[in-house]
Amino acid sequence: MQTVDIHAHISPEGMVKAMAEGKDWHGVTSAEMLPIHEYTPRTMWTPEERLKEMDEFGVDVHVLSTNSFFYFYERDASVVTAMARECNEYVSQLTKDHPTRFAGFATLPMQDVSASVAELEHGMGQLGLKGAMIGDHVNGATFDDPKFLPLWKAAEASGAVIFIHQSGDTVVSPRSDNYHLPNTIGNLADRAVTFASFVFGGVMDACPDLKVCLAHGGGYTCFGAGRMDRGWQVRSEARVNIQQPPSRYLDRFWYDCLTHDENALRMLIDMVGIDRVVFGTDWPFDMAIDEPVAWVRNTTKLTDAEKDAILGGNIVKLLDL
Amino acid sequence: MRAIDIHAHSTPQCFQREVLQGRAWHGMTAAEGELHNPRNAWTPEQRIEDMDSIGVDVQIVSTNVAFYKYDQEVATTVAIANDCNNEVHRMTMDYPERLAGLATLPMQDIPSAIAELDRAVNQLGFKGAMIGDHVNGVTFDDPGFLPFWKAAEQMGAVILIHQALPTTVTPRLDRYHLPNSIGNLTDRTVTFATFVFGGVMDACPDLKVCLAHGGGYTCYGAGRMDRGWKVRPEARVNIQQPPSTYLNRFYYDCLTHSEPALRYLIDTVGVDRVVLGTDWPADMMIDWPVGWVMGLSSLTLEEKEAILWKNLEKLMGL
Repeated sequence: MQTVDIHAHISPEGMVKAMAEGKDWHGVTSAEMLPIHEYTPRTMWTPEERLKEMDEFGVDVHVLSTNSFFYFYERDASVVTAMARECNEYVSQLTKDHPTRFAGFATLPMQDVSASVAELEHGMGQLGLKGAMIGDHVNGATFDDPKFLPLWKAAEASGAVIFIHQSGDTVVSPRSDNYHLPNTIGNLADRAVTFASFVFGGVMDACPDLKVCLAHGGGYTCFGAGRMDRGWQVRSEARVNIQQPPSRYLDRFWYDCLTHDENALRMLIDMVGIDRVVFGTDWPFDMAIDEPVAWVRNTTKLTDAEKDAILGGNIVKLLDL
Repeated sequence: MRAIDIHAHSTPQCFQREVLQGRAWHGMTAAEGELHNPRNAWTPEQRIEDMDSIGVDVQIVSTNVAFYKYDQEVATTVAIANDCNNEVHRMTMDYPERLAGLATLPMQDIPSAIAELDRAVNQLGFKGAMIGDHVNGVTFDDPGFLPFWKAAEQMGAVILIHQALPTTVTPRLDRYHLPNSIGNLTDRTVTFATFVFGGVMDACPDLKVCLAHGGGYTCYGAGRMDRGWKVRPEARVNIQQPPSTYLNRFYYDCLTHSEPALRYLIDTVGVDRVVLGTDWPADMMIDWPVGWVMGLSSLTLEEKEAILWKNLEKLMGL
């Protein structure tokens, strides 16, 4: 049985080289690139070093996504479009060099929806990628904004999986920037808001075949669905786009297993259905699951069939690997 | 069998008498205090009738969050808190078997907040106070609040945490009621974290904090907070143990609007830490709170009794 990790990041080789030489890369200075890469040396590993560690962990396939550091949605669209193309070609090349070990997601210049549609279509066509990883919002615009609808329609038409993953500040950052809370609480709150913006915004109704996977176990989504339902019941503004309570949409999404808590993973499975949970580790960052296959295998509240579905079965079907 | 509700609000009649005549009340107007909800205009007698109908024996009444007013001149907020607390006190004197009180406090000035908490607890017989998730952006790990926690600890006061809008979600997405339906729960989780990671729970081992709305996402999200504590030195500056070991130091109301979430809360924090909280009379309240708890098939009768009254009877000395 194959184990496939949907949540595994990469920094493009050209960028790592430019940084080492102290050069700019698509307008990004080496001073900007250095901190995250020096903090996490695995971001600079070669594909061979990555494969060796995947072997140690028992991970057969990484679905590679360019680090969210490279979203740069606030920068000039044409610069970021060129940057995304280089990232996506690099990931595509790795999937061709190691077809049994790597699949790939595109990164997109989301500040320009037409350019994103074009890049996604190029990625799904010529580059052989499986979808794209994007943020929880684009310069403050959430995904219920109608301007994004062409992208969802394009993803639906091509069968692309849209993998949602925050970058930078989260909703928690302005409240408390201490104790790593913008990540440990903020990532999970951001993901719940993104679920809500897709659902309450009517996107899931407009695009019945759209495949969205929410990283970090979908954040607080499944635990908090009851209060979203109550809001839908009592507030007309929560019902402008949808006829059913938001919890009805839980099984329309996919979720990775990155909960750092077996009980939370058990609840996620019980709420969204075992066929909707996939393996995701957040390699190579410090908030990753350390020995991810062993962690899933050693959980005591999951059946063997559930472990198999999460580690590989579901995602092989989802991405047609 | 009894039912005691820790999460029940009041919009003061003294405020309504003035603003409904078109007069300002400590600078407040009829646009505040959720007067669009007719139950906020109800007299204490009507409140008691409604409690009878939904099977609640005792409400621990807190003044509506509109009256926090942490952003006003201290003297103004002190006067507001004084009037609000006096009115709740009168209600508890008129219905001593049915109503108890939580004070509202001028949290932007700690000496004034301590003085009002002392008056409320030691002269008016209040059980504690209800405060926000932050005070003008300052979270509760700020050392400036420590004298307040120490005072609450020494008085045995229960501190109920309850947001006022805007929440952390408001700037991201101010539609579909999400600043409430996701924001309240996010704010409460951050507040748990500021108490714990900030070292307040270590500094005040006997401090009694109750997190409204089931503590938000706290219990479900503790695993990721633990991971942050393990890998990031900035998460360990004040605490020697992972944050999840503090889960059973707090109390939580049962306002989850989800049976699986309530079951998860009980399993994570312990059934002795979960209490009845309804959010009366807001639209986001539990409609038939006692009936809802009694009807939950995943809770034992012992668990239902602990939540409905036994835990609060003990915590509040009721």
